Amino acid sequence: MSAPTLSKSEAREPSPGRRPGSTRTDSAREEFLRSVRRNLSAHGFLIGAVLCFSFFSWYPMVREFILAFQKNENGETTWAGWSNLTYIFNDPAFWQAWRNTLLFTVLALLLGFIVPFVIAVIINEFRHGQGYLRLLVYLPVMLPPVASVLLFKYFYDPGYGLFNRILEVFGLPAQQWLQDTDTAMLSVVIAATWMNMGGATLIYLAALQGIPGELYEAAELDGAGILRKIWHVTIPQTKLILSLMLLMQIIATMQVFTEPFLLTNGAGPEGSTTTVVYLIYQYAFNFNNYGSAAALGLVLLVILAAFSAVYVRLSRSGEDE
Amino acid sequence: MRSAGFRRNRRIDRTAAAALVTVLSLTLAACGTSSSSSDDDGDSGGGSSDPSAPLDPKAKVTLSIDCMPPAAKAAELKEWNEDVKEFNKTYPNVKINGKSTPGQCLEPPRFTAMLKAKSQPDVYYTYFTDLQQVLDNDGAEDISAYVNDKSVPALKDIDPNVLDVLKKDGKLYGLPTSNYTMGLLINRKLFEQAGLDPNSPPTTWEEVRTASDKIAGIGGGVSGFGEYSAGNNGGWHFTASIYGLGGDVVDATGKKAAFNTDLGKQVLENLRTMRWDDDSMGKTQLLKWGDLQKQIATDKLGMFLAAPDDITYMVQQLGAKYENFGMGPIPGAKATLFGGNNYMIKKGSSPDKIKAAIAWQNFKFLTPGKGQFEWDRTKTDKLPVGLPQPNFWLGESKTKDDALRSEHATMPVENFKPFMDNPVKGKAEPPKAQEIYKILDVAMSGVLTNKDADVDKLLSTAEQQVNQVLATQ
Amino acid sequence: MTANTLVPRRKRAATVEVARPRTLISPAQLGRSRGRTLYWIVFALVVVVFTLVFLGPLYWMVTGGLKTTQEVVQSPPTAFPTSLHPENYEQAWKVMDLAKLLFNTLYYAFGALAFQLIFDVAAAYSLSKLRPVFGKAILGLMLMTLMIPATVLVVPQYLTVLDVPIFERNLLNSPWAIWLPSVTNAFNIFLLKRFFDSIPRELLDAAAIDGASATRTLRSVVLPISRPILGVVSIFAVVGVWKDFLWPMLTLPDPSKQTLNVGIYSLASGVPENVLIAALTIASVPTLLIFLLFQRNIMSGLTAGGLKG
Repeated sequence: MSAPTLSKSEAREPSPGRRPGSTRTDSAREEFLRSVRRNLSAHGFLIGAVLCFSFFSWYPMVREFILAFQKNENGETTWAGWSNLTYIFNDPAFWQAWRNTLLFTVLALLLGFIVPFVIAVIINEFRHGQGYLRLLVYLPVMLPPVASVLLFKYFYDPGYGLFNRILEVFGLPAQQWLQDTDTAMLSVVIAATWMNMGGATLIYLAALQGIPGELYEAAELDGAGILRKIWHVTIPQTKLILSLMLLMQIIATMQVFTEPFLLTNGAGPEGSTTTVVYLIYQYAFNFNNYGSAAALGLVLLVILAAFSAVYVRLSRSGEDE
Repeated sequence: MRSAGFRRNRRIDRTAAAALVTVLSLTLAACGTSSSSSDDDGDSGGGSSDPSAPLDPKAKVTLSIDCMPPAAKAAELKEWNEDVKEFNKTYPNVKINGKSTPGQCLEPPRFTAMLKAKSQPDVYYTYFTDLQQVLDNDGAEDISAYVNDKSVPALKDIDPNVLDVLKKDGKLYGLPTSNYTMGLLINRKLFEQAGLDPNSPPTTWEEVRTASDKIAGIGGGVSGFGEYSAGNNGGWHFTASIYGLGGDVVDATGKKAAFNTDLGKQVLENLRTMRWDDDSMGKTQLLKWGDLQKQIATDKLGMFLAAPDDITYMVQQLGAKYENFGMGPIPGAKATLFGGNNYMIKKGSSPDKIKAAIAWQNFKFLTPGKGQFEWDRTKTDKLPVGLPQPNFWLGESKTKDDALRSEHATMPVENFKPFMDNPVKGKAEPPKAQEIYKILDVAMSGVLTNKDADVDKLLSTAEQQVNQVLATQ
Repeated sequence: MTANTLVPRRKRAATVEVARPRTLISPAQLGRSRGRTLYWIVFALVVVVFTLVFLGPLYWMVTGGLKTTQEVVQSPPTAFPTSLHPENYEQAWKVMDLAKLLFNTLYYAFGALAFQLIFDVAAAYSLSKLRPVFGKAILGLMLMTLMIPATVLVVPQYLTVLDVPIFERNLLNSPWAIWLPSVTNAFNIFLLKRFFDSIPRELLDAAAIDGASATRTLRSVVLPISRPILGVVSIFAVVGVWKDFLWPMLTLPDPSKQTLNVGIYSLASGVPENVLIAALTIASVPTLLIFLLFQRNIMSGLTAGGLKG
């Protein structure tokens, strides 16, 4: 597979709306009218999606900003100034939620990003049973998440759970899993990885199968071992897919809600699985405080925007090479 | 520029565009959605406009009402349907449109969302703690003028403490369906196995600790004492525990947290000791309502703090045997949390609707010998009779109801003797209860999941958060 | 890449496939007897571990639903039920009203699929081939939403659904609350647009010379060659609704309208553990069946989409 060069080709296309020259000759007029017509039809195709985006995506974004500076008292909405922001900054849970989200992101990247890649590399080496293994890895994706999550909750149970039983068989000390501030987040990430890595694994597999075999042969002539071949051939050849998946992984990580919500009933031991998004949920639907929820959402937005800017920059500089 | 090809293209594309727009507007405008303002489905306003007059039986009203028993509660559902039939004999023109909720009727986040959306049914179930939030969202009708001796004949016998919970600035916003005071629910079988006397449950936390240790000693995954620490239930039970010790959660002004005291520390420290030093509370924590019931119903748990109607729940849904349970007063017994539930009527309902709702509530929930107080039927349907819940009658109604209850009792009354004979002063839940409970969940989960939890820090963090919540609004 | 899954099946003997493109480990290495032994050991190990890790939980779930309440929470857990209780499944089906929940979920999922196929394909086509004024800006605005976690916007989005501006509709408890927001799937639009971009201009120009309108070009030229990407988008659309939790929990509070995920969650505390596990098993069956039947299409479609992305 060759690296898609779409963003480049996009850049090369002429900007569609611009028309050359402005003298009102007949041909220019005709061209102008033609472009009007073309635009009408093109926007006709767009309108459905644009309306949906307007109502359910763009308008809520604007509203997010407004809400963050409003408060609701006895059924009346008034301007709150900065009070929602001071509220969240004074909440000890705010800092804890950020620490947790960061921890979750790091763990999810270590597990959720690397594990599927390793699995894909291994499966790709097999001359037999690939179909079966791929089927297995993708199976959990098709389960309703509630089923997977509750299953893991049973497995994690320190009393009758399967995991402690397995540790016991191997002579390892029993763990508290979700019940311990130190392991709660890790347990959530393990469950989430099991549930979600199928898609990523398949995509990596496809990418791996696109690597030309000659590259490996060339590396072998240089006397490269397996690890060096991975480092010098496999990873560079799949770099684009890898970085795209990394970005998606981080975005998905920031959105995580279902898994901690169901596994630890929300906050977790001493609040150790309270993520930023869960805190937003808690402000809004437990505290009936939409203003603070929106303010926290805003803070998250700003941080993500900074992150995306960095990402875009990095990927640009990568392309320029 | 008028080339035919172009014109044709344009027309077709315009049609396509127009079709898309139409489809989209239809999706928004047509079937399946309700206009924000079309909630009143054309009830005839034919009845008397005098609020104090009872409902005219001729008035045609459709009432939507939530918390109808779900299929899982087969016996209660059957009774509900019988009651609707019976009610329709007097009021044939009132259509009761029940909605059932599997699980708990009310989960705070869902409830908050519902109020915000104003999507509550005409008559909706709330906890005693919800009034302020309902008023903040302008969600309930003031029914003071509608509730009187004629519409609710037993009104004078309803415990005024219970009605007070439903009042704000002298106005009444709901009618109770049930109330409870919290006590210590025990598994009698495990008590006997552990060599304890099931007829005298522990009354102090020291005794609870000893008993818990003994029960856990049975082994096989049995724990002595169980406690919640999630889903707002942890904070709820923290409140119950500190009340039992004579403490408070919010001070008299309602603006400051009052639990960061020696009593608060005692509650947490005691749980920490039982969980870690004695290891008598089981390893699984972060439990919420429903989890402990499952444990005690399968004889894996010796005792926990509960309201009496947990027994009904366990018998009906978890296949437990009610003889197996007993109750004692809350440890400490200085005061006990009282709570309960009620129905409110959606703001903007027509007078007839309000009257019909009150007539139904009166019939189903507020008449001794009828509806939920028809104890002989409860007995026939194999539900427990003899539980001290609901418990809001005074005077004549109390005498009558108590007589019926003991006549048809299916629960061995002596199992509840320790609870009934030692009535503890009821104490209402704090303002902003659900928010405070949510915050205190973290402190509870702290001592139950972390061996080295810093009790002082947990309490001061929670105090800071509660003060902040109390300061807003 | 589907080719090499087919090849080994035909030649399952120990001969190393000639047709197979080579990978990380050289065929020469595998050809040696030490290499071959190692290969088989690793292979056996991986197959066993994967089977345990991915099928084990399903086995536990199926058998857990057959145990008694006592046995499910017994420590240590039993590998086989000591006595079989298939009636748990019956009870789960009845008490939790799983038929209704299943129907609801499928209804929402396929409705969302239809909306996304119509609106998102049209939009991607327009942005890729018709290129209207502000098209780039619109695409940019759409892609921008990718950078914002949906859950951040959940509060304002929720308030919007309660009272859609201009139309003044309350979409709560109605399927539109799921369907219409599902159209705002920028990732699918992005995938579709990328694919359409790769369709040679000449193909469309040829159609235009024949006098075909944009709609007809879309239908008779673009869509037929876009089958793989449409498959991918469909999978994403259906799986998205199937897996969603927070949004349906908020917008479909009426128990009779709930999805499988939300319905089971709200019932979980109200039934004994063995019945709950039985319910989880039942809830998993339909998609597992669909998956096993169509696994080839689903997986090849998914990887094809990944390659383009």
